[in-house]
Amino acid sequence: MGVLRTIRARPADPPLDDGDRAGALLRRAGRGDQAAFAQLFDELSPVVYGVVLKVVRDPSQAEEVAQEVFVELWRLAARFDGTKGTARSWAATLAHRRAIDRVRSEQASRDRQDRDAAQTVRDHDVVVAEVESSIDQARVRRALTQLSDLQREAVELAYFGGHTYREVAVLLDVAEGTVKSRIRDGLIRLRDELGGES
Amino acid sequence: MSDIDVHHLAAAYALDALDHHERQAFEAHYEACEVCRADVLEFRDTMMHVAASLATPAPASLKSKVMAEIATTRQLSPSVSPIDMSRRRQMRSLTGVLALAAAMVAIVVGVVVFTGRDTTTYSDELARVLEQSDARVVDLENKSGTSGSFKVAWSGTLGEAVLIGENLPPAPQDKAYELWLITPDETKAMYVLDPATDGNVHRTMKATADPTAWAITVEPRAGTPVATGDIIYVATV
Repeated sequence: MGVLRTIRARPADPPLDDGDRAGALLRRAGRGDQAAFAQLFDELSPVVYGVVLKVVRDPSQAEEVAQEVFVELWRLAARFDGTKGTARSWAATLAHRRAIDRVRSEQASRDRQDRDAAQTVRDHDVVVAEVESSIDQARVRRALTQLSDLQREAVELAYFGGHTYREVAVLLDVAEGTVKSRIRDGLIRLRDELGGES
Repeated sequence: MSDIDVHHLAAAYALDALDHHERQAFEAHYEACEVCRADVLEFRDTMMHVAASLATPAPASLKSKVMAEIATTRQLSPSVSPIDMSRRRQMRSLTGVLALAAAMVAIVVGVVVFTGRDTTTYSDELARVLEQSDARVVDLENKSGTSGSFKVAWSGTLGEAVLIGENLPPAPQDKAYELWLITPDETKAMYVLDPATDGNVHRTMKATADPTAWAITVEPRAGTPVATGDIIYVATV
């Protein structure tokens, strides 16, 4: 495995598909290769920044959080384990987690529930509008329409809105257990529509 | 309360929709649960598509800030795990060949009995505790100087606690780990870990008192009602 990774990481190798390319760059970055990390930034920054901006909303805060995410990717690069998902998926997970941490620490100091709920309603339209431009976006839009209203609302309030499922239950005025079920059912439906592979 | 509850947590976890305590507790559980681990990976891959649909060009200033910061940021070493094994081997060599043989028989029996519990009952019990609005989880600080970790999840309204021990070296001969629930009024003996099981322990128990701390000591194998050994793991609440 180690040998294979080393060979893959050589720049002279033929181009790999997207997930592997990011993974190979991340492994090179894990050995201190800053040029590889710069390429990795170009690969991943639209997804990382897009996820963070969606959750945090404020562009200057989003930039700060995205910077934290990339520095953490740099610090942890040597611990990347390709058997636990692609580098792109890891980066998106980390970006979402950091964005959530940021909005939750803010929430601790002021109650933004009403405003967030109102924004989330508007955001759905924004999502639909944003989605027009690419095949990936169109697939996601189609997949989201396959969810029931409650499934979609629960998934969106959690993932885009940064709310815990308990907060989502309050926002939608349904039982916590119902929200957990809808989130799970919604993700299974999305997985079936979009496939598990990224 | 069924296995399905745990999977519900896997989906909410993949969306980062668990609060801090639930997140910790689920992470403690899912490393040991293949079903949940597979679910989380699949759900994350699914959400990767959603994330991709959000892609937005980053501000031009971001790259130069990131590259400047990483140039002065130390990277962590890769995770290398097997240090624990050498320690275990040393400890086992002290116990003698006969004791080891007896222990191996006990481990095999223990694993056979334990596996059934682990995949069904324990998951249900942990999920039931975590569902309570007053559920808490703590990592016990390891003062033992050897490998191993303990976490405790509990709920006062449910009156139950779940002990999760991982990568534990065997207790010294004729000794066993014992868990204590500490309140301002008493130190209550909760559970004596079976030294015959392997280094991973998942155990549910009644916990009606409101703890101010959890602690683990090494005690005679049969357990004692009053702690006598040094505290080797501890967490204050």
